[in-house]
Amino acid sequence: MPHVDEGTLHAYLDGELPSTERKALETHLAECASCRATLAEERALLERATALLGTARPAERAMPPFEQLRPRSPKRSPWRVRTPVAWAASIALALGLGYFLRQPTAEFAIAPPPPAPEVALMDRFGSQADANKPESAPVRAERQAQQPARAPTSKTSVTRAESTGLGAEEAGVLSRQRIADSLAPVGRSSVVVIPLAAEAPQLRNAAPAPTSVSKVNDSLALQEAIVVSGVVASRRMQARLSATTTSWPIISRGTARSLLGTEPVGLPGLARQIRRNPANDGSVVVEQRIDSATTIQIFQGPAGADYYYDGVRERDRATRKDAPSAAAEPADRLARYVGKLRVEIAGPLSADSLNRLLDQVQPLP
Amino acid sequence: MPDDIAEVYRSTYPALVRFLYRKVWDAARAEDLAQEAFARALVHRPENARGWLFVVAANMARDEARRAARERRHLTLLKSEPDAVHSAPDEEIDADTARARLRAALDQLTPRDREALLLWDAGMSYDEIAAQTGLARGAIGTTLARARRRLVEAYDAGLEGGRHAARG
Repeated sequence: MPHVDEGTLHAYLDGELPSTERKALETHLAECASCRATLAEERALLERATALLGTARPAERAMPPFEQLRPRSPKRSPWRVRTPVAWAASIALALGLGYFLRQPTAEFAIAPPPPAPEVALMDRFGSQADANKPESAPVRAERQAQQPARAPTSKTSVTRAESTGLGAEEAGVLSRQRIADSLAPVGRSSVVVIPLAAEAPQLRNAAPAPTSVSKVNDSLALQEAIVVSGVVASRRMQARLSATTTSWPIISRGTARSLLGTEPVGLPGLARQIRRNPANDGSVVVEQRIDSATTIQIFQGPAGADYYYDGVRERDRATRKDAPSAAAEPADRLARYVGKLRVEIAGPLSADSLNRLLDQVQPLP
Repeated sequence: MPDDIAEVYRSTYPALVRFLYRKVWDAARAEDLAQEAFARALVHRPENARGWLFVVAANMARDEARRAARERRHLTLLKSEPDAVHSAPDEEIDADTARARLRAALDQLTPRDREALLLWDAGMSYDEIAAQTGLARGAIGTTLARARRRLVEAYDAGLEGGRHAARG
């Protein structure tokens, strides 16, 4: 055997030499002092290099638990999905600020703006509009009633209201009127809820419920992925998952297509099972296993209809939004429109992960 | 069926952090990138999760390095004075200096040699390194031998250079 090259020696030292070669090498080393010397040099080199690399180790830190990885949302552009949230937050902030600055008397105040976009965006388009009809009707009535008292600009209207000795109630109505007016050009804003504080009892008599103004544009909603609900505890999602659809009849893709009027949608490349909503409302759910522990549900139905996904009518959920426990309702499932379908996603994953999966939903081949 | 990512996470995470650290030279950033790589693996479910993770991590580190290089260029435009020379290289070499030397030495390897060396140090087998780098398995030993030699030589040359600079 000729002398051994350094690559073979390194593979040998690394324990990566195939066994036949290793035996041949060891036989050779036993009788070749020169190669033994080379081996010793290479071993020293290897140890030195390893030691040098060892000087550049990050400080050993506890590994974050694997479960914590799931909620991470790497590199998702915050603008892609959250535009509506940012948008609504800006409106609410601008409204709140403008309103606060224009209101010289602190007879009533606006609740902090942040809750507004959250409530607004967690709701559904169609159902929200329905739900708000009863509440927005009095506002419109008031608008008409107050129409003659309105001054051309809002600032002078307040000044005049005070200087002419109008009561707090009327001033308040005027101000609320301004809010409604300033919302008017805002076509895409889903809903903005501006609860009035308790310091204005007369005002609350005038309008006992928090004033909700709804501007919903359904046709816009059809084209655009609009999402919903910033913070969702994954455990809650987990607890609520699955049980609800086990009784739904399993159907074929063809049946799903005829129910939906279009191809069912889902995540391509994953096994799927399609079930029909037993309420016969035309909606179906596509269930897909991501792994042994994770099944996501992709609820879908023709846009514009009402569904009973969780045995709770969509519109009922929406009306319960104002209740304190509303955040725990299934209504914070993520939703978007894909073609003519309204699609919701649920599963034991973080909202961010679900969001990303929802982005990938497409008509199933 | 893809590997169980949780298992791969437990066995590979520290090595992946170490691997990334030698590329981005920032422990917190290395951890962020490693976690990001695993989070992506959860979505993509690759067949060979371990190899996939290292590929993704290497790509992320490269993007990161490009960004850092851009920022450095901007900085040097702003900065008129050259870097100060280390003043006491004969003194006890503190960890930072050793790290900076190692980094400089690693920078002198060819990308392929460096990659093979870092992958080996991250615990990958010759087979895995071959799959990762596109080198023949039989060439890995030679590549590593060359990488180790150059690393040691470059490091020692850096030491010498530092001494000369201090004396001169």
